[in-house]
Formats: sequence, C-alpha cells, structure tokens
Amino acid sequence: MSLLLPLLVTVPLLGALAPFVAGTRRSRAGRAATVAVLLAHLGLALAAAVLVARTGPLTYVVGGLPAAVGIGLLLDRVSALFVVLVAVTAAGLYLAVREDRTGPGDALWLLLLAGLTGVVVTADAFNLYVFLEISGLAAYALVAGRAGVDRALAALRYLLVGTVGATLYLLGVGYAYVATGTLAMADLGPALAAVGHDSTLVVAAYVLIALGLAVKLALFPLHGWKPPAYATAPRDVAALLATLGSTVAGYALVRLTFGVFGVEFLRGVPGVRLGLVAAGTAGVVAGGYLTLRRAELRRLLSYSSILQFGLFTLALGVATPLAVTGAILLLVANAVAKGGLFVAAGHAERAVGRSVGDLAGFGREAPILAAGVAVAFASLVGLPPTVGFAAKWYVAVAAVAAGSWGVAVVVLVSTLVSLAYAGRVVERLYLAAPEGRPGDRGLATDGGGDVAGPSRRRVAAVVGVVAAALVVLGLGSTAVAEWVAPVVEGWA
Amino acid sequence: VGVSLLPLLAVAVPAVAAPLVYLARSRPNLREGVTLAAAVATLGVVWLAVRAPGTPVTPLGTVAGVSFALRADAAGLLFALLAATLWVVTSVYSVGYLRTVGEGHQTRYFAAFAASIAATMGVAFATNLFTLFVFYELLTLATYPLVVHAGTAEAYRAGRTYVAYTLGGGVAVLAGAVLVAVLAGETTFSPGGLAALSAADPTLARVAFALLIVGFGVKTAIMPLHGWLPAAMVAPTPVSGLLHAVAVVKSGVFALARTVLYTFGPETTWALDLGLPLAVAAAATMLGAGLVGLRQDNIKRGLAYSTIGQLSYIALGLAIATPLAVFGALLHVVAHAFMKITLFFAAGVIYAETGEKYVSDVAGVGRRLPATMVAFGVAAAGLVGFPLVAGFVSKFHLVLGAAERPALLFVAVYLVAGLLKLLYFWPIVYVALFGDRGDDSPASRHAFAPPHATDGGYPGETTWERPALGREASPFLLLPVLATVGGAVLLGVVPTALPFWALAEAVVAEVFA
Repeated sequence: MSLLLPLLVTVPLLGALAPFVAGTRRSRAGRAATVAVLLAHLGLALAAAVLVARTGPLTYVVGGLPAAVGIGLLLDRVSALFVVLVAVTAAGLYLAVREDRTGPGDALWLLLLAGLTGVVVTADAFNLYVFLEISGLAAYALVAGRAGVDRALAALRYLLVGTVGATLYLLGVGYAYVATGTLAMADLGPALAAVGHDSTLVVAAYVLIALGLAVKLALFPLHGWKPPAYATAPRDVAALLATLGSTVAGYALVRLTFGVFGVEFLRGVPGVRLGLVAAGTAGVVAGGYLTLRRAELRRLLSYSSILQFGLFTLALGVATPLAVTGAILLLVANAVAKGGLFVAAGHAERAVGRSVGDLAGFGREAPILAAGVAVAFASLVGLPPTVGFAAKWYVAVAAVAAGSWGVAVVVLVSTLVSLAYAGRVVERLYLAAPEGRPGDRGLATDGGGDVAGPSRRRVAAVVGVVAAALVVLGLGSTAVAEWVAPVVEGWA
Repeated sequence: VGVSLLPLLAVAVPAVAAPLVYLARSRPNLREGVTLAAAVATLGVVWLAVRAPGTPVTPLGTVAGVSFALRADAAGLLFALLAATLWVVTSVYSVGYLRTVGEGHQTRYFAAFAASIAATMGVAFATNLFTLFVFYELLTLATYPLVVHAGTAEAYRAGRTYVAYTLGGGVAVLAGAVLVAVLAGETTFSPGGLAALSAADPTLARVAFALLIVGFGVKTAIMPLHGWLPAAMVAPTPVSGLLHAVAVVKSGVFALARTVLYTFGPETTWALDLGLPLAVAAAATMLGAGLVGLRQDNIKRGLAYSTIGQLSYIALGLAIATPLAVFGALLHVVAHAFMKITLFFAAGVIYAETGEKYVSDVAGVGRRLPATMVAFGVAAAGLVGFPLVAGFVSKFHLVLGAAERPALLFVAVYLVAGLLKLLYFWPIVYVALFGDRGDDSPASRHAFAPPHATDGGYPGETTWERPALGREASPFLLLPVLATVGGAVLLGVVPTALPFWALAEAVVAEVFA
C-alpha cells in the first residue's frame, strides 16, 4: 500500500480547483497555484518511479474495499514510465509555452492531467473508463478554447467521436463484467481464461474495448477527429494533446491487451491478432498517404500520428515481449517528438505562417529550432541514433523472429513513406529561400491579439531539449527496454 | 584485444570539429584552421591506431539491445587511414577551390564535410552490422547538404535523388541486418564469417545477403543502383573528389566487404551460390559503366561513370572471394582513391582556373595547366592499368585472383573493362594536350561524345596562355594534386611503402585463416 498513488490522482484533481478559485480575482495567484500543483505532481511521479525501482510495483486500494468493487491503483515499471512522461510533459509545457493562463483554462489543464494520470495508474477496467472520460471532457473543452467557430466545430466533432469511443469501451467492459463478474484487472485475466478465450462474450468484450481505444488512438479509419482538433486547438493545448492524448490511450491498450486479456488470448483467437495487424497496416498505409498530401504543418503532424499509431498497433499484433517493448518505445518516441514538433509548429505559425511552404528559409532564421525539428523528424522516420530508430529496430527484429514477415516489411517500408513527408518539411526549412514574402518576419498577418506567446529562445530551448531527449533515449534504449522488461516479460 | 579510446577519438575528432567550424564562422582563416587541425589530428589518431599493438576497441554499451562498439581491426584501419589521409589533402584543396571559385555557404560546407568524415570513420570502425548501419545512415545525412550546396533547382533534384537512393538502400540494409540478427543471433563481424549463418536456413540467409548487397550496392553504385552518383556531381568538386569518389562509395564497397568477408564469409557466400550473381552484377556494371562513360563530354560526369566501373572492379574481387582477388580488391580501394581523387582535383583546377566543365571546351588546356594535366594523365594511366602507377598493382592481383575461379570469363571482363577505360581516358588526355582551342578539327573534339549544347563560343581569347612554372593555379589547388598523384605513383613503384599493403595482407590472413 502506498499513499503516493492516490495522491498522484487527487493532487491534480482537487488542485484543479485552486486556479479556478484563486484565478478569478488575480490571475497571477491562479498561475502560481497551477505551477505549485504541477510541480507537486511531478515530484510525486518521480518519487513513485524511484520507489518502483527500489521496491517493485506499488498498489493501493482506496478505502480498503475488496478489489472487485473498490478503486484499485497500481504502479509498475511500465505505468511508472508513462506517469513520468505525463507529469514531465504537463509541467514542462505549462512552464515553457502555456499562453492562456486564465483560471478556468488552467483548471482544465490540471483536470486533463488528473484524468491521464488516472488512466495510467488505475488497476480497474471500469475506473479506466471514468478517467478516460475525465481526460476526454477536459480535452474537448481545452480544444474549444475561448473563441473561434473552427475550434468550436472541431471540439464538437472531437466530443462526439470521443464519446462514441468511450461508450464502446464501456460496452466492452460491461461484456467482460457479465462474463466474469469482476472489473479489477488482476482478477479479470484469470477469470477471462476460466470463461474461455474463444467464448463470444470474451471476444466481443475485447473487440469493443479495442475499438473504443482505437477511437482515442485515432487509428485509421477512426481518425477523422484528430487533424481538425489538433490543427485548430490553441497552440499549447495542441502540443499537450499531441504528446499525451493518444499516447495514454495506447498505454491503456497495451495494459488491457497484455496485462488483462493476455498473450494466451491472442494465441487462442488468431482473428484478433490478424485484426490488429490489418488495422495497423491500414493505419500505416493510409497515414502515410494522407500525410504526403498535407500543406498545413499541424495537420501533417496529426496525420503522421496516424501512421505512427498504425505502427504501434502492428507491434501489438506481433505480440512477443520484444514487440511489446518496441510498441512502448514507439509510444514514447512519438510522444516526445510530436510534443517538440507541435511547439515548434506553434511558434512557426506566429512567426511565418501555418503551412509547410511558409517555412522556407526559416532554418536560417532560427537555427537551433530548425536543428531540433530536423532531429525530431529523423526520429519519426526512424533514423539512427534516435529513439524512433531503436523502436523500429525492436519491432522489426521481433516481427522477423516471430515469422511475421508482412509486419517486418510494413515497418521497414514505412520508413520510406515517413521520409517523404519529413524530407519535404526539413528541406523547406533549410534550403528553400523565402518566396515573395515581405522582408519583415515579425508581423502577424491575422491581426493582433494572437501574436503574443513564448519567446523564440524559450521555444528553441523546448525543442532543443526534445531533440536531446530523442537522442539520449535512442542511445539509452537498452536501458528503457531493461526497465520495462520485468513487466513485459511477465506478460508473455 | 585492448580497450582503447583511439577508435572513438577517430570518430570524435571530426565530429567535434563540425560545431567548432560553425563557431568560427565569422573568421574564415580560423575556421579553415580548425578543419586542417582536425584533419591532421584525425590522421594522427588513426596512425596511432595502426601502430597500436593488438586491436584497439572502444565499447560504447548497447543500443536497442545490440552492442555498440568501435573496433580498429585491419580492414577498418585500411579504410580509416585512407579516408583520414585524403581528408588532409582535400581540406587544403577545399580552401583553394572554394576561395578561387568564390562559393557561398563555406561554413556549412566545412562543417558538413567534417561531419561526413566522422561518419566515415564510424563506418570503418563499426564492430557489427548494427553499428555500421547507424554510421552508414549518418553519412547520408551529413553529405546531403554538400550535394545540394549549389542551391540550384538541379542541385535540389540531385539531392532528392541522392537521398531517395541511399536511404532507400538503407532500408534494405536495415532489413538485412535484422534478418542476420535473427538468423545468427548476432551481427558482430568475424573474420571468415559468422558460423551460425552457414548453419541457418539457406533461403533466409540468401534473402539476408541479397538485402544487404542491394542496400550497400546503392552506395557502391552497382548498376542499376547507380543513378544517384552522376546526379550528385553537381556538388562542388572537392565533394565529388573525397566524398563521392572516396568516402561514400568506398563506404558502400567497404560495407560490402564486411558482408562478404566478415558476416557471411567467402565459403558460405559461395556455398549458398551467392558469389556468382554478385560477380555477374559487378562485371555487367564494369562493362556498362565503361560504355556509358565513353559518351560523356562533361568531365565530372564521365569521372562519375569511371568511378562506377572502378567500384565494381572491387566488388567483383570481393565476389570472387579468393585470397588473391580479395587482396587485389583491398589494394584497389586504396589505389582507386588516390588516382580518382587526383582526377577530380584536376577537373576542379580546370573549372576553378578556366570555368570550363566539358572535354570539348578544354582543348589544349595542357598549355595553360601543364602540371595539372600531367597529373591527370598519370592518374588516368593508372586507372587504365599501366605499370608503375598504383592501379597496376591492384589490378594485377585482381586478375590473378579471378583466374583462380573456374569461370575465366571474369579475367576477360577485367581486361575488356581496362580497354574501355583506355578508350574513355584517351580522348580527354589527347584533346587536353594536343588539341587547340577555337579549332574545330577532330583533335579538339571529344572523339566519342556528342557535342554538348554550347552558349556560342568562348569568352575572351581562344588560345591558352602558358603560365610561369608552378604558377598555373593557387598552391592550395596545385599541391594537393601533386601530392595525390605522387601517392599513386609511390604505391605503384613501391607498393609496400605505406601501411596499406600490410593491412590488406593482415585482412586476407585473418579472413582466409
């Protein structure tokens, strides 16, 4: 029993009230309260991770109720990795690039943090739904922002589709409950096995759960909500969601697939594995094709996520410990790179414009920023020595070792597709001369108000840190793999 | 096996030089000083590694579950010593060339050049396929800015072609490396090949070999994977010289050697019937490139086709995989480097001093650039295979090695290819030395190439001025040409004079032990 776990969720959840209350009168006080909550959460996350490293998985049952009906929490090495990622991102992005610092906005930021953390640490399939909805509602509201018809429409679409996804998930959980009479993840696994993996109820439960999460992942063809939401959301919100939104849903899919249903389920029901591989392949192909044709940078990045989550799903379909390790690395690699790229895209929007074409010659103007962007794209493509490369290496080796030749081919060929869109952006950034644009770059074209934002120095620092992290994680990918190995191998 | 920092230093010195060059951007002399100092220091480090007893190794932990390490074995040292030596010469030449021609973006040029050398050192000292792949890809990225240096639409097109070919090849290499890792359980280079591969499923082993050969074949410019090389000739001449005639293509053929000699091993390669297809592809490339090269009026484009042919000399030697052929192939790596870089340097001097790029425009240029054109002639003779130049020694061994395999056909291919080389170089040397500008007689036109579209006549005078002795070009341009041609002759007269011979012997001894 560790009190750290409930605090990880309750601190941002209750803390969300702080900026709301403090910020109504004085925005400065609200900001200070938000920072305090974020830093406290970060400290808790790091402390919990250290504790996991020292003593093994942490568990907690709220109120001491039996697991079957109570709210169980669990932090093992895999979830600790994602908790730290969530905490670092939420605090880092807030401190570095948050623009809207009103009380309600900050409250939503913290609420999103609480929901995402909850999804990661919960040990109960139903509570996962609750946290998914908390994070979802906060995300819809954040995307809507305070102004703009485009944003409102995108947020409404996000809301509708997201709610359908969550409902599908809930239906799946309901089926699982009907089949087993429990919702605690630890009990669900054996109970599902007892019912029989090929029972219609169990298969239907998995399919519904996976479909629900696929919506959150924006897996092709359930991706429609993502590009408009990420392209129209406020810049800082887009960066936060692009880093964490689908990543945490991906974590949930890993946890439920391997921690609850288990490898035996995948072996027993070949159709499910086939479905994962097919969905992943479709995601890679469609994502790659759609990415190639985007002119707007943020949309391009959103479609690139569709490709990346296709790769992730493929890795799940291979279903060996090595492949799951690769899948986890893919999630981390995509999250870190997308965070940096959305921050950079937000800055470029203010400085030169929204489209890839506007970036012409921007590399000369902002060399450090451009170098960071190039490294982030290299990681998305999967070039060494970045973590994106390490992730693909794991997945490819796992696929070949498992005899999944098709998966190996798709993973490798995806590199070329990614190269095509990444190359287009990086080439623009560095080599193209600005075309027919007025010399003064400082001017915003769409009128004042929107121009204020983090300074270039600050943005460059974020992107630089992201680039360094991608390389360090790449060179240290073995350490990451060894960190998650006890859990991942336990699933096999 | 001694743990040593030398292999890491060989990579780190040029790698660190790249940002230093950038920091010194506002002071060109200091900036070029950094490049020269780094080049000399890198050569010093490699030299120490050659002298070091045993095999220096720098372990760098594991990446993605695979050990990542740099190891200076004989083959790696041969390649690293070659690249480091020629980097010193090319640095001097680059200073002269960029300043004479007045190229822009010189900081980017020197920084990217240093980064490319760092990646090349990594390729040379990579201890397994995985490490090799990492540096192989980094080399592509580091050389890209150099290919598009000119910033013209043509340069961008060439850059895109270059990246599409090389990174596409990289994917094949990655696939092959993954297969080898799964089949053999490791990708570490071991002299004579990995035992586990000879016992592996032959079909999968063949697929792995094919993927690696196709992947590395791109940079080796084996036809039909060669399209990027003539396109990349839009780069400044020193880039064409060191990178595209030496570092990049040699990285490809070096990786090919690592595949045939150190991953599969000569025996397994032939036991799986893989030697013959590779040999046939290389032989076809030698002849094809020889024929296409005949019709090139653009000097650098012609040299690119010559490079394509020469690289396949080496690839064929590796494919034949007898001790003599491998020995000849390794010597030819060095010999071709010295001779081809001389030719590119000379072409660069012609361009820097006269602004001409076509054979038919430089009739009689020997009067204007006597020392340069003599060096060109000597290097060309060497590539054709005349004795007393390095190319003869290596080709001699290649031909003897080819005779060891029952298919005598390859001996004939070597000889015919040499004849094609003669036909290719003869018009250039003849026109340059005996032609006359402004005269349309056959002596002043390329004998085989169709005339290129001209802009109507020559600017200024129609005759070449004869300069005072040693004043035909900037010493920064002239001395490197003389140094490299001197090296080629030295290696032709006393082949054992430089450590390359001993290193090649060591490679053959350990591979065929």
